Amino acid sequence: MASITIEAITKTFGAVPVLHDIDLSIGDGEFVVLVGPSGCGKSTLLRMIAGLEDITAGEIRIDDRRINEVAPKDRDIAMVFQSYALYPHMTVADNMSYSLKLRKTAREKIAEAVGAAAGKLGLDPLLARRPKALSGGQRQRVAMGRAIVRHPKAFLFDEPLSNLDARLREQMRAEIKRLHKSIGATSVYVTHDQIEAMTLADRIVAMHGGIIQQVGNPLDLYDRPANLFVAGFIGSPAMNFVEGHCRAGVIETTDGSKVAIPEGIHLTEGQAVTIGIRPEHVRIVAGSEAGSYTARVDLVEPTGFGTIVHVRLLGQDLKIYTLERGVAVVGQPLHIALDSTRLHLFDRETTNRIG
Amino acid sequence: MTSFSAAAPPNGDRRTPMQRLAARLEPWLYSAPVLILIVAIMLVPLALGVSYAFRDIKLLNPFSGGFVGLKHFRELASDSAFRGALINTLWWTFSSVILQFLFGLILALLLNQPFKGRALAQALCFLPWAVPSFLSGLDWAWMFNPVVGPIPHWLYALGIMSEPSNILSDPKTAMWGPIVANVWWGIPFFAITMLAALQAIPKDLYEAAEIDGAGPIERFRSITVPFLAPTMAISILLRTVWIANFADLIIVMTNGGPADRTQIVASYIFTQAFRRLDFGYASAIALVLLVLLLAYSMLIVVLRQTMLSRH
Repeated sequence: MASITIEAITKTFGAVPVLHDIDLSIGDGEFVVLVGPSGCGKSTLLRMIAGLEDITAGEIRIDDRRINEVAPKDRDIAMVFQSYALYPHMTVADNMSYSLKLRKTAREKIAEAVGAAAGKLGLDPLLARRPKALSGGQRQRVAMGRAIVRHPKAFLFDEPLSNLDARLREQMRAEIKRLHKSIGATSVYVTHDQIEAMTLADRIVAMHGGIIQQVGNPLDLYDRPANLFVAGFIGSPAMNFVEGHCRAGVIETTDGSKVAIPEGIHLTEGQAVTIGIRPEHVRIVAGSEAGSYTARVDLVEPTGFGTIVHVRLLGQDLKIYTLERGVAVVGQPLHIALDSTRLHLFDRETTNRIG
Repeated sequence: MTSFSAAAPPNGDRRTPMQRLAARLEPWLYSAPVLILIVAIMLVPLALGVSYAFRDIKLLNPFSGGFVGLKHFRELASDSAFRGALINTLWWTFSSVILQFLFGLILALLLNQPFKGRALAQALCFLPWAVPSFLSGLDWAWMFNPVVGPIPHWLYALGIMSEPSNILSDPKTAMWGPIVANVWWGIPFFAITMLAALQAIPKDLYEAAEIDGAGPIERFRSITVPFLAPTMAISILLRTVWIANFADLIIVMTNGGPADRTQIVASYIFTQAFRRLDFGYASAIALVLLVLLLAYSMLIVVLRQTMLSRH
């Protein structure tokens, strides 16, 4: 187990820059998730830690040892690929023991390590099979087993669940978390799925356009997104954004409605801001009350547990997530209140959070 | 109740015999055009060729054409030129195939590496395949000729030859002439097929193996070779049959000589048929070659099947 330090990392493919000056330190035993849309550079960063991509500038250290020039096999890391990358002509047992064999580990030790890993992942009955004869979930497990047997300093996961169907993904997500709790190895996990990021991470690194947007524990990112990108990326259904300007002590939205400025926040007159409201923080109230709005229901999407209600409000298609059933009927008016303590304000110029 | 069961015949078929026949014939009628084509252009000539092997057909003898039974085969059994041609065929085929395969594989591995101008290099490497075999035979014959070609002089300068002479006229080395030409001409075939197979190998596997600690040789052994094996087997099979039948280069470069030292079975057939105009005897030799190649193909097909079923 080890810590990973990433210092001023830059990466360009030819003339195309993909990572800009990335700084990140990952503690011993920490589970860090790199999350962002495709093309944000998260996989490239992971592959640089693995040694599969050259480092254009900057330094990566594992336990204070600079590894920029160290070959992947000497970095003592294990990687789980999106495609699993299992050797198709080897059995499950051979797949798992391949790295140990190459390291000339004693036969008994290999058998012991493979046995232990197989037991942990429930692979015992599959050891003699070839990958072709396995289901997607089983292949995924073998890929994890192959990583575990080596007891590496760090695990790197490159979107390991994206090839699985939703149910299996949920199941494997829990399994990875449990596995991490029991092994406690430093892990770096790349995903574009914010739910995976939220559920698995000790710390989330939200990336966009080759830049780290915010680093923090999952609930921090949810409660206090640092900028518009993180606010829009974390959370499902996604946060509502309403554009407006500060006019005479209130925020005037594009349709002329007024929203009170939350306490403790100072805006300059005329400042262009974006208000962020999570759908689950919009309240539906019984009748018109002070500061409430009335809007016509546009669309109702029941998800089973809750309901997503779309209304036309503040010049926006505003989403509301409610657990109450039957409160919204398409075409009928709805009374809505915004909780001012739950509002997020962003400067529209810099996209950064205000307050 | 009972009248119900009596009403329907046991098999439930109420069609007339004519209708039943039509239904039976229907699929054959649909496939008739293709079947007629196959019979007309493949089976009829084959049967005709096989029948020649048992008949006395000499173009210069107007009274020939009678059935002679196994006479040609008895002659063949004691024909030392045929035996020599068989041995030459083995020699010609296997050295050509092995060298073509080795160089083709190396070329494919090189062309699979990313480098600047790779597309151009790929196109250039596949050029020999586009050269007509007769033209490449003539080219190489001239290159080996010390009067107009550079190769004997190079070999002399390197000390491999005591004097710049034509290897095609030396019975000891003559076979190498057509083999070299054949290797040059056939490398692209292997390079193309191997490159296609190489490009189908997922890159992740190499990355996973790299992280697992496999060096370049180990990665080649444990990923590239198993992935290429089925393609290797089928392309070597194809090329072997092809080359064993491939007399163009030999006819053009040495015409089987000197002293029959480059005569292979295919060129021997050509000589018998078109120089001595003995079609009967030529057909008998061709039949033997066909049987040998069929046996070989069966062997390889079985081998490939067992190999694939193991995966």
